[in-house]
Amino acid sequence: MTEKEQQQIFEDWLSQHKTLIFKVVRAYAFTVMEQDDLFQEIIIQVWHSVPKFRGEASVITWLYRISLNTAIKWSKKERKHYPSETLEGVQHILQESRIQTDERLTWLYEEIYKLDEIDRSITLLLLDGFSYKEMASILGITESNVGVKINRIKKQLISKSKKYDHYGI
Amino acid sequence: MIIMEFEELKKIWDVQTNQPLYAINEKTMYNLILSKKKQAHHITNISELLIIIVYIITGSFVLGMNLFNQSSNISMYLLSAWMLGSALFILVNRIRRIKGDKQFDRSMSGDLDHAISVATYQVRISQIMLWNILPIGVLTSLGLWEGGKPIWIALIALLFFALSYYAGGWEHNLYKRKKRELEVLKKKLDSDG
Repeated sequence: MTEKEQQQIFEDWLSQHKTLIFKVVRAYAFTVMEQDDLFQEIIIQVWHSVPKFRGEASVITWLYRISLNTAIKWSKKERKHYPSETLEGVQHILQESRIQTDERLTWLYEEIYKLDEIDRSITLLLLDGFSYKEMASILGITESNVGVKINRIKKQLISKSKKYDHYGI
Repeated sequence: MIIMEFEELKKIWDVQTNQPLYAINEKTMYNLILSKKKQAHHITNISELLIIIVYIITGSFVLGMNLFNQSSNISMYLLSAWMLGSALFILVNRIRRIKGDKQFDRSMSGDLDHAISVATYQVRISQIMLWNILPIGVLTSLGLWEGGKPIWIALIALLFFALSYYAGGWEHNLYKRKKRELEVLKKKLDSDG
């Protein structure tokens, strides 16, 4: 594969599926600097993965695998320290959207962020409508194990929605 | 009190399909890719190569100096042999590691298994390198003493190796902690519930 072909595929993937990467970034990284750092790690991994893609899975499944695997390992890395005075001079790749975010979505992300790294992955896949079979393949665990985890996560999120209503947000 | 059903949570989630959370600064992104695409993927690669190169250069230098000076300093010959042997040992382990890299699948579980295998390798190599400081330190100090150097030079060399042992221990503990964290993640993934 030539570098030009690699770049073309990378651009296509990014333009069509960037929202998927944004979701992973938002679920695994809290501050703007961390989100930018994680996004960089993911796109580098995606770039390297282009020549390895054989079409055995869909592009979405492939990108989710890479993004989640990168995010999980990134979350276990030694945290980089970002001194506040350097923030202004840094050129970010990610810029937060100017469109007002739905506050219920912000709440949902906060709840997802409170889950452990594995449960966060399962929640993202679940909310994006992946089947148990697809999730089992992405995670490398059995479908029954996926089912057990999903039941627990669903219960947990639904019970948290009580508090959301209670605070009248 | 209203309890949201999961379908409602999904509707909230789907809002972002039409309203992406971020915009991408494409110029900065491509600059980053250009700068990083040729970079080595793993720190393991760099540290392994560094150890091999340092041992080969130092071992060859010590051997060359001994041969050039027609020295009969046994400790220095032993030291160069030990260093070149260590380089060979790391090289063989590196080849084994690279061959083993291909046996993991691309799932999250497979990726974690791979990360744990790399971490286990790092823990093992850093432990061996830590122990390796002992014979190298002793042989160097003996060689200096045998070569007629003042005792304080041999003591300084010993102190240097003691400091190296301390720094190596710190690095070794870092790898051990990283390995433990990955094992906890894998356990969470495999557990029912």
